[in-house]
Amino acid sequence: MADLFCPECKKFTEVVFDHSAGDTICSECGLVLEAHSVDETSEWRTFSNESADNDPVRVGGPYNPLLSSGGLSTVISKPNGGSSEFLSSSLGKWQGRGSNPDRNLIQAFKAIATMSERLGLVTTIKDRANEIYKKIEDQKLLRGRNQDAIMAACLYIACRQENKPRTVKEICSIVHGTSKREIGRAKEFIVKHLELEMGQSMEIGTIHAGDYMRRFCSNLGMANQEVKAAQEAVQKSEELDIRRSPISIAAAIIYIISQLSDDKKPLKDISVVTRVAEGTIKNSFKDLSPHLSGLIPAWYATEEDIKNLQP
Amino acid sequence: MAADTVFGSSHVLDSSSSTSSHPLSPGAGVVPAIENVVSTVNLGCTLDLKAIALHAPNAEYNPKRLAAVMIRIKEPKTTALIFSSGKMVCTGAKSEQQSRLAARKHARIIQKLGFDVKFNGFKIQNIVAAYDFTFPINLIRLANSHFKFSVYEPELFPGLIYRMKQSKIMVQVFSSGKIAIAGAQKRDEILKAFENIYPILMSFRADK
Repeated sequence: MADLFCPECKKFTEVVFDHSAGDTICSECGLVLEAHSVDETSEWRTFSNESADNDPVRVGGPYNPLLSSGGLSTVISKPNGGSSEFLSSSLGKWQGRGSNPDRNLIQAFKAIATMSERLGLVTTIKDRANEIYKKIEDQKLLRGRNQDAIMAACLYIACRQENKPRTVKEICSIVHGTSKREIGRAKEFIVKHLELEMGQSMEIGTIHAGDYMRRFCSNLGMANQEVKAAQEAVQKSEELDIRRSPISIAAAIIYIISQLSDDKKPLKDISVVTRVAEGTIKNSFKDLSPHLSGLIPAWYATEEDIKNLQP
Repeated sequence: MAADTVFGSSHVLDSSSSTSSHPLSPGAGVVPAIENVVSTVNLGCTLDLKAIALHAPNAEYNPKRLAAVMIRIKEPKTTALIFSSGKMVCTGAKSEQQSRLAARKHARIIQKLGFDVKFNGFKIQNIVAAYDFTFPINLIRLANSHFKFSVYEPELFPGLIYRMKQSKIMVQVFSSGKIAIAGAQKRDEILKAFENIYPILMSFRADK
């Protein structure tokens, strides 16, 4: 309702502001003085108690240093109404045609994210896996390889680097396109190339049975006492000369502890959770038998309980 | 650290070898046994694999799987892969001379079938040797202290793979005490690798 100079009436007149059309109209002669005024008031109302995930002020994902230009570039998407206007559909096509150098990376990151979701991994591990994937992607050497295997191997290495290793079989069960062998070969390939590129910073130590103990026990639903006993037993087993994979030893120790307790887990359950074959657990048990009294802590089971244990 | 004493220690330790059966350097005559020699030779002419597969004794030809004919002979007990370009790979011999002899025998078979065969560029590509230390070895400790050279993935392969820094020789060490040395093109490369690895493995014995 401000006073503006109307060129028709040649004087300052009262002016009406029409909100629906955005016009500033002279109230005496009806001439539109200013059109297309932009409404700068807030588009939506934000309350302090509303969920933080749905903040309409923020758009897009966080800054991602792995993508070129941080992943903040603008992408034209398809219009929602399904209007097949020449301009919007063509624009979408032109945008989609090869202007995005990161497309492969973004796809791969999405796949790695799905995988780590299935395994229930922390974001730290997922980010590490993304980093590793980007480093390999830079070198363009993995064209011919099975992409699933490469991504699975990145995840495997990331878990190892964070000292929360996952067995190859666990990762194998999550990713459907690969076998243990392919993931192993991809892992060797990645480690070799990263060492070439970065020098000696790729020190992933060997696996230990103790790393997996906590997780296997919790998946089986073992009581606290049993978990403690199992962890102590694993510590002691590392000094013994047992020629078995650490995973098999972990499975066998869980089996022993479980058989000694009141709540005996069947061999089948342990085999499923650890993904170690039942025969292997039995054989590992036989290998451990002579050392049982040294392995199992005294507060957990007596000598005769151990003797009564059937093979 | 044991890693630093690998290259050059064996001569120093010779003088301090004890009377025990396992001194820190291999005594006289303690050498790994050669198990396999792989060699290649160029027969110098293109070959008709189908004809060879039909007429040669003990020949296998499966073009969908591999584009070469496999011929086995009994003495020396070897297998040869013969390609249509005329190149041949001979595997399974127990020594370098036997490999050369075997390659010549295979070439003779091809010659009898009527091809104009020569014996060009015979080269030994790989020699594999094995040795048994008879004492168990602690692979985890070995992998931890020699992490720069060893790769030990019990989930993937039960043996520890030790690659020497100076050469491209690879030694597979198993916890039973048996080792396999591979990747050498000459016999003394194997012996040198063996001399280098001997004291290292001695220090990682797992029994008392």
